[in-house]
Amino acid sequence: MKTTRFAASVAACGFALSASIAFAADVPPAGDATRGAEIAATCQGCHGAHGEGIATASGPRIAGQTASYLVAQLQAYADGARTNPVMTAIAKGLDDQKKADAAAFFAAQSPPFAAPATHPNDAQLVRGKTLVRVGDESKQLQACANCHGPDGSGERFATPYLAGQSAAYIASAIGEWKAGTRRSGEALMGGVASRLDDNDIAAVSAYLESLGAIGD
Amino acid sequence: MAQRLQPVDVVVFGVGMVGSIVAKELAAAGHKVVGLERGAPRFTVPDFQGPAVHDELRFDIRKALMQDNTREAVTFRNKSSETGLPIRRWESFLPGTGLGGSHVHWNGQTYRFHAKDFELATAARERYGDKFLDADIRVQDWGVTYADLEPHYDRFEYLLGTSGKAGNLKGQIQAGGDPFESPRARDYPTPPQKEPYHGAIFRKAATDLGYHPFPQPSSNLSQPYTNPEGVKLNACVFCGFCERYACEHYAKSVPQTIILPVLLKNKNFELRTGCQVQRINLDSTKKKATGVTYIDAAGREFEQPASMVVLCGFALNNVRMLLLSGIGKPYDPSTEKGTVGRNYAYQTMSTVAAFFEQDKNINPFMASGASGTLINDFASENFDHSGLGFLGGAFVGAVNTNGRPIQYHPVPPDTPKWGAGWKRAVAEHYNHTVMLSLHGSSIAQKQNYLDLDPTYKDAWGQPLLRMTFDFPPNDLKMAAYVTSKAVEIGKAMGAKQVVGNPRKGPYTTQQYQTTHNTGGTVMGSDPSTSVVNRYLQSWDVPNLFVIGASNFPQNASWNPTGTIGALTYWAIDAMKNKYLKHPDKLVHA
Repeated sequence: MKTTRFAASVAACGFALSASIAFAADVPPAGDATRGAEIAATCQGCHGAHGEGIATASGPRIAGQTASYLVAQLQAYADGARTNPVMTAIAKGLDDQKKADAAAFFAAQSPPFAAPATHPNDAQLVRGKTLVRVGDESKQLQACANCHGPDGSGERFATPYLAGQSAAYIASAIGEWKAGTRRSGEALMGGVASRLDDNDIAAVSAYLESLGAIGD
Repeated sequence: MAQRLQPVDVVVFGVGMVGSIVAKELAAAGHKVVGLERGAPRFTVPDFQGPAVHDELRFDIRKALMQDNTREAVTFRNKSSETGLPIRRWESFLPGTGLGGSHVHWNGQTYRFHAKDFELATAARERYGDKFLDADIRVQDWGVTYADLEPHYDRFEYLLGTSGKAGNLKGQIQAGGDPFESPRARDYPTPPQKEPYHGAIFRKAATDLGYHPFPQPSSNLSQPYTNPEGVKLNACVFCGFCERYACEHYAKSVPQTIILPVLLKNKNFELRTGCQVQRINLDSTKKKATGVTYIDAAGREFEQPASMVVLCGFALNNVRMLLLSGIGKPYDPSTEKGTVGRNYAYQTMSTVAAFFEQDKNINPFMASGASGTLINDFASENFDHSGLGFLGGAFVGAVNTNGRPIQYHPVPPDTPKWGAGWKRAVAEHYNHTVMLSLHGSSIAQKQNYLDLDPTYKDAWGQPLLRMTFDFPPNDLKMAAYVTSKAVEIGKAMGAKQVVGNPRKGPYTTQQYQTTHNTGGTVMGSDPSTSVVNRYLQSWDVPNLFVIGASNFPQNASWNPTGTIGALTYWAIDAMKNKYLKHPDKLVHA
């Protein structure tokens, strides 16, 4: 907020006023899970009928993420902060109400976790667990758990859970930040991603995927 | 019997913010440097990681990061006629210990003092005449000017990556910044942090009243940053656990995140932790330091010879080390002779609580240690003191840093102190209150000083430091005046109830105020009123430098860290470019 708004100090008063008005207008519409179920039909080809995720379709698990997180992702696809050939088009086709409805539906789902698609060796699991729980001082990497909760169980409302997420999706998300192609969440994840090498990304993704039971 | 070690070029006492910077610069210049730190080594990973680092009981209440006062306390009394007693629980101020020092648990508020602060005695005399001040006040110039320090402030801010908005670029006033600030050569390295809601309400009210709000300069960074040392920092997530805590995110600028990774790789530097320095050793002339004697964690005594000693400790510990070493003449308040321990000052903190209706959700927990909004209209020499009867001032701001559950529960003054009534009031006001802070200057007064306690000793048998301090009437008048102005702002913010709490005497060590203890090894141009010269070199022992808030002749209206950082680079510049080329007195007085 503050970074973009320095007009003359006289205008600052006007800013504060308009900010509070804008704040009221910015409150997202309440989502309706029943209406969202209809929209979800569009999503199930990749994300599964209940948002359980389909690894072969590159669709991450979205069931049980908070509605506010899911709305923010749809918004990011719609405004270009995240890009994906499929999701960009879908998100642009949903108005604010429909985004909220779809998010409400998936937030309320709790399907079982799929069996892990990757088969990490012990060394990878140890490295992944270390990065998730402790971090790595030599790379100035803090623990994932600081923001994503103990063992990636999520930290309401803005930070998604990662436990049980598809390893392929986690790796691709980190890859987008590392490549600089994903601007949503970049201030926080950009630096982290830049300090993870390919082995770290594989290890942390596989370890998090192996934690599916935690989300149950 | 002390074991004598191999001589080195430089011994650094205290590996906190100042010590890390001094050691890095001198080691990089080719000097063999040993850093002696009494506390433990500690790093962001694994020592500062969540969820353990958010343990409010451990860090906030039990003060896990602070100097162990079962081994090394400070004694306190309000005046010379009283008997000092050891402070057994840190409350009023919180001196840290361990690698990174007190900087690890700071809030990240990174100010510059204003030009007139460095020439306060001259400026006040010119503006108000000779008879303006109370007779007991000992205000003096620093011997260094803002213009001298500006490049060093700049370097320090860029080391930290401080997030802020310039108000005065080379004399051009910048909209949105602090129009009162002294000119800076360039803007802050990163833009300000996002403004929480309490800051936005304050901004509007202060602007309506004709004041000049600006974003608090924060070293909890607004965006990722790579500093000139090549060390990378992350963006702050507004978790509300800065002061009294270490940051788990590499987002707060502390030695571990800005300079230690570089220093610890330099083979000219050796870090020794768990080392309790007992004294600086002098040769038979008493005009040359030969090194230090310390006791390690296993109780073994060592003598570390060195060509040069740099005291980089917390203000109180710098003063104590000179007194324990018999360097300089201890200050005597009855005769006003002696300089070591003279001009001890603090900070005069007041608050204003603004209680709002239930429809204003403040969300106080969503903050960093320096994400507030403030005004400097009543700070320093930014307003005319004629007829007010005091010197100095305070910044006023909505600078609340947290909403932590054990410590943060603002309630109106008529609330019961416990029981169901108290609980109801906490629930009612927790999310609907803005606490304004008034961060006031502290003037030196002849009765306030530091010396060695005649009775109490530390775990190694050395006398404790004794603090004799009460608020000068000057500062209490200042607090009352600025609080009345802040109450008006609170009302303009639309609060239903506004309660001003101007600081009142006597000073107590049992209530948290601030860890901005200053003075005692004051810098200046006259050896009869200062301990170090303008380059922070000891007048008595030229191969000894003393750096820290202990150099301040009196304390200004802002947090001291930015000025300590500037003084550090200023002194290093003098060491590298003057002293080490020709080791001698840099100033002949």
